[in-house]
Amino acid sequence: MPKLEIDGQEVEVANGTNLVQAAEQLGTEVPHYCYHPGLPVAGNCRMCLVEIEKMPKLQIACNTRANEGMVVHTKSDRVLRARESVLEFLLVNHPIDCPICDQAGECKLQDYYMDHDRQESRIPLESKVSKGKAIDIGPMIMLDQERCILCTRCTRFLDEVTGTSELGIFERGNHCQIDLFPGVMLDNPYSGNVADICPVGALTNKDFRFRTRVWYLESTPSVCPGCATGCNIDIHHRSGEVFRYRPRHNPDVNSYWMCDEGRLSYKRYQGEGRLLQPVQRAGEDWQPIAWDAAVGRFVDVLKGDKRIAGVISAQSSNEEIFLFDQLVREQLSGQVAGHSWSPEGASSDELLIDGDKNPNTAGLTELGLTLDARKIIDSALAGEIDTLVLYGTDLTQVCTVEEIAELGDKLDAAIVLDLRYGPSLEIADLVLPIASYAEIEGSFINRQRRCQVLGRSMEPTGHSWPGWQLLTKVAGSLGAPSHDSASAVFERIADKHAAFRGLTLAGLAGLGAPLGGATSGDG
Amino acid sequence: MAVEFSKESKAHFEEILTRYPKKRAAIMPTLWLAQKDFGYLSHEVLAYVAELIEESPAFVASVASFYTMYYKKPMGRHHVQVCTNLSCALVGSDNIVNCIKEKLGIGLGETTPDGKFSLDEVECLASCGTGPMMQIDDDYWEGLTTEKTLEILEKLAAG
Ligand code: SF4
Ligand code: SF4
Ligand code: FES
Ligand code: FES
Repeated sequence: MPKLEIDGQEVEVANGTNLVQAAEQLGTEVPHYCYHPGLPVAGNCRMCLVEIEKMPKLQIACNTRANEGMVVHTKSDRVLRARESVLEFLLVNHPIDCPICDQAGECKLQDYYMDHDRQESRIPLESKVSKGKAIDIGPMIMLDQERCILCTRCTRFLDEVTGTSELGIFERGNHCQIDLFPGVMLDNPYSGNVADICPVGALTNKDFRFRTRVWYLESTPSVCPGCATGCNIDIHHRSGEVFRYRPRHNPDVNSYWMCDEGRLSYKRYQGEGRLLQPVQRAGEDWQPIAWDAAVGRFVDVLKGDKRIAGVISAQSSNEEIFLFDQLVREQLSGQVAGHSWSPEGASSDELLIDGDKNPNTAGLTELGLTLDARKIIDSALAGEIDTLVLYGTDLTQVCTVEEIAELGDKLDAAIVLDLRYGPSLEIADLVLPIASYAEIEGSFINRQRRCQVLGRSMEPTGHSWPGWQLLTKVAGSLGAPSHDSASAVFERIADKHAAFRGLTLAGLAGLGAPLGGATSGDG
Repeated sequence: MAVEFSKESKAHFEEILTRYPKKRAAIMPTLWLAQKDFGYLSHEVLAYVAELIEESPAFVASVASFYTMYYKKPMGRHHVQVCTNLSCALVGSDNIVNCIKEKLGIGLGETTPDGKFSLDEVECLASCGTGPMMQIDDDYWEGLTTEKTLEILEKLAAG
């Protein structure tokens, strides 16, 4: 554990720590472009030059290990002059087209220019080398060769993380440029990450381009709902609309990355198709119904001596699953099953992508539910069930269209709680819109049995309600104790289930934590 | 049709590999060998070399793009390279370039329609004391005059 001095402050760091990281421990940013903690060091941008006593020349902090007794200066005159020169050099052929650049506002060239350079360019615009702009290089990414500072973060990502090596640096000197090998596209399942790590506007995200300026966005930490891996993300949103997901560093789950499928999965939760208000069946039509009346009707349907069954999907949070199970199984002595469905041929790989396209299958099983929704459908078809409650469950994933029609005849009542329109509405008598995972507080459990927290990014869409709130209200009307927050529901879970003991939603914020104990088959 | 080394070149490639600790390190002589075999480094050839040394085509292409002596397009049978750097320029390399352009009817960076000659200007070839000079294929021609230059070209054109 070497001890060293940086800008007059002493710091002790782990062996092998580089000077960018060591300075970070003291809250000092050494400006850098090519260095990225998730990639091998390249040391080519020279932005991170620092002065080390007893060394005649400035050294790059990213590729210098902290050593015992080092005395480092990150803000000396020599360092500041060097930064200014490096920036002027990096900007020699830069087109300075920030007004039409999507990166503006989160661009390290802009930031460092304002912090360390602020001089007129000595190169007139017309004598700059011009290169390709707005080159479509794959389903996710647009390339602007002029804005590139040749830091090689993108090529190192493609060489080291995905191993697909689509991009290279071609030509030399002034004419150096990032490009594809002819006939190849940047279309691997993780291609979106290169836009995140590109420190400038050379690689931009096609899905996000020109939709908003980044300074209008708010960011809420959450978890990707795309599969059982549960990559940590930041949801970037504005006025109730999600604009993009960005991977959030979690060394135990996703490192700095996420997949393209997950990155675009935000689209499923917004736009057309969301249920906006409670409705009840009126013959062939739907009739809007106020929430109070809707909850009242739901309670009435559940009351009395009825055979009740419920199915809840693995897209739901732990809090929803727990309350649903409590209501249907404990309070109403009904049957409950979890439903975890993935399309046939769903993608999966060794890196991050899991074939289970549900974010919370482990939540269902940890909370004691079986995954046998079909069994419940079978009893319903056999006429053994009066009332069926479907929570986020698409019936076509469990039965055929004919069976759905048959269910409609056999059941006395079917209640659907869901985000969006779907085939299950066919048999519903009452439909209650619930908020999406981005609109609630709660938690998911990923494939590693790690419990991770969802950030409430925005208000529920339309007149939908957070599921936990709806369930606790219904349970309360039927005489159970109710909960005034998702955290309170989580406390109950921790009381009842040993694996959750000691955990709280607030305590899990950030990186989450593994559940206690071990499930069978999980050594 | 997929490109492939001749039998001799394959043997040569195996020999090249023995000189380096890693296949990746053999990239330059392998590209050179490929250029000799195929005339220039087409995309197919670059991909073939990538396969041989177990690297990505993008990596191989980026190395090839760095060096002007790797040809990325078809070249004439003879590659005429005239030095126009300072010492040669002072003793009239311009005249030499102009007379070749006129004789062959092509500009710099171009190839004659019959595929016999390609013309380029290059930087100092370290023969400054004997300028103006040019390199044709692997040979130096020094102390050039326009007459001498035309004579050389005619001989090659006939040959
Ligand atoms: S495109 Fe971006 S990440 Fe890639 S080398 Fe250029 S600046 Fe770096
Ligand atoms: S691997 Fe799974 S959790 Fe991670 S980003 Fe992709 S879909 Fe989301
Ligand atoms: S960050 Fe150190 S040289 Fe680029
Ligand atoms: S300047 Fe022509 S050979 Fe040196």
